[in-house]
Amino acid sequence: MVGDIVVAATILGKLIGAGLAMVGVIGGGIGIGVVSGGAVQAMGRNPDAAGTIQTNMILGIAFAEATAIYALVVALLILFVF
Amino acid sequence: MKLEKSRSWRWGVNRWIILVLVILGVFAARAYPPILPHVQLPAEAITGRLFTLPVIGDFYLSNTLLATLIGDVLLLVLALVIRRAIRSGELVLRGVAGAVEALMEALYSMAESTAGKWAATIFPWMAAIVMLVLISNWLELIPGTDSIGLIHHAEGTAQGYPVQEIARVGGLPVVTIVKPEGEAAGEGEGYILAPFVRVASTDLNFTISLAVISVVMSQIVGIRALGLSYFTKFLNFKTFFSRPLFGVIDFGVGLLELISETSKILSFGFRLFGNIFAGSVLLFVIGSLIPVFAQSAVLLFEFFIGLIQALIFGMLTLVFMSQATAGHAHEEATH
Repeated sequence: MVGDIVVAATILGKLIGAGLAMVGVIGGGIGIGVVSGGAVQAMGRNPDAAGTIQTNMILGIAFAEATAIYALVVALLILFVF
Repeated sequence: MKLEKSRSWRWGVNRWIILVLVILGVFAARAYPPILPHVQLPAEAITGRLFTLPVIGDFYLSNTLLATLIGDVLLLVLALVIRRAIRSGELVLRGVAGAVEALMEALYSMAESTAGKWAATIFPWMAAIVMLVLISNWLELIPGTDSIGLIHHAEGTAQGYPVQEIARVGGLPVVTIVKPEGEAAGEGEGYILAPFVRVASTDLNFTISLAVISVVMSQIVGIRALGLSYFTKFLNFKTFFSRPLFGVIDFGVGLLELISETSKILSFGFRLFGNIFAGSVLLFVIGSLIPVFAQSAVLLFEFFIGLIQALIFGMLTLVFMSQATAGHAHEEATH
């Protein structure tokens, strides 16, 4: 009986913890939105520079995405390792 | 005058092959409904213990190491194919060699525009990393990766499934995991699969070691470019005695630079690992929910992600190495 409750509480904690860890993805989403919004505006003003802007945009998106990926890694670690 | 003749529309064979495969996939999904495989973070060992080192511990051949070796072999074969294509004396390379040439040209122009005169030094590191990571990531798209392997008993908290024998090859049974009727098998019961080949980038050993190579080599490129004065980036005593207040701040900034250099390893490693591991988990989940069409769309997405992550890894290596060659000269000019 007590063992069942402990197991259930462990699973509950895991799932809630993984869900809370994924809150960090909000920042990555905002960052990617800002980066690509700025890039599209820049391309609209100066279509000739689209190539360079696109390269820099992808680089910026990768940096912004990295923090979201850390949150994802933490969530995956909670779910599948502990 | 029209120089190029447009290809006339014809009913190709490939689309019918794909249609037949889709219909077969529907029947296969009816016969053997897919299950959610056991997701495991560390790589599975596919051999017994090979040897033991005193401090480090036991050594196994893991499935991600096998994938890395397959990636290496593919790279070598690709290199030999391109060598033969260049030796043949054709001016315009065709087929795979032509595609790789186009990729290399794009990468080299990127290296030249970022690194300037150090492009020739930095480019091999960047291109090798891009090609290795690209091939490792795209192994995920090949059928059989993650799905063919050794069946063994589920242990610990792993969720096992019953198996069914479908064929027998030379006395060894070939089995498939089947979806249980009604109640699922409990924890620690049934069987789970340890695949022969698992994508190398889903193992932190692969990504972190690539990251260590990239960061350490960027220090070495920096030392080659600037000599011993490269280390003043980290231990900055230049203004320590002439302007004591700002000197202390500059010294602190240098120490922070040291920390950021180590955090680059983590950032490199976890970015690649997180993207590809999350992608393979997504493939598992989508495959178990919607067995027939949906996985194709996700595979297309993974194709794109694999390419982007390989380019990002190479591009960041390029940027960090060219930053290391630049030193403080132009930074002080902008102050």
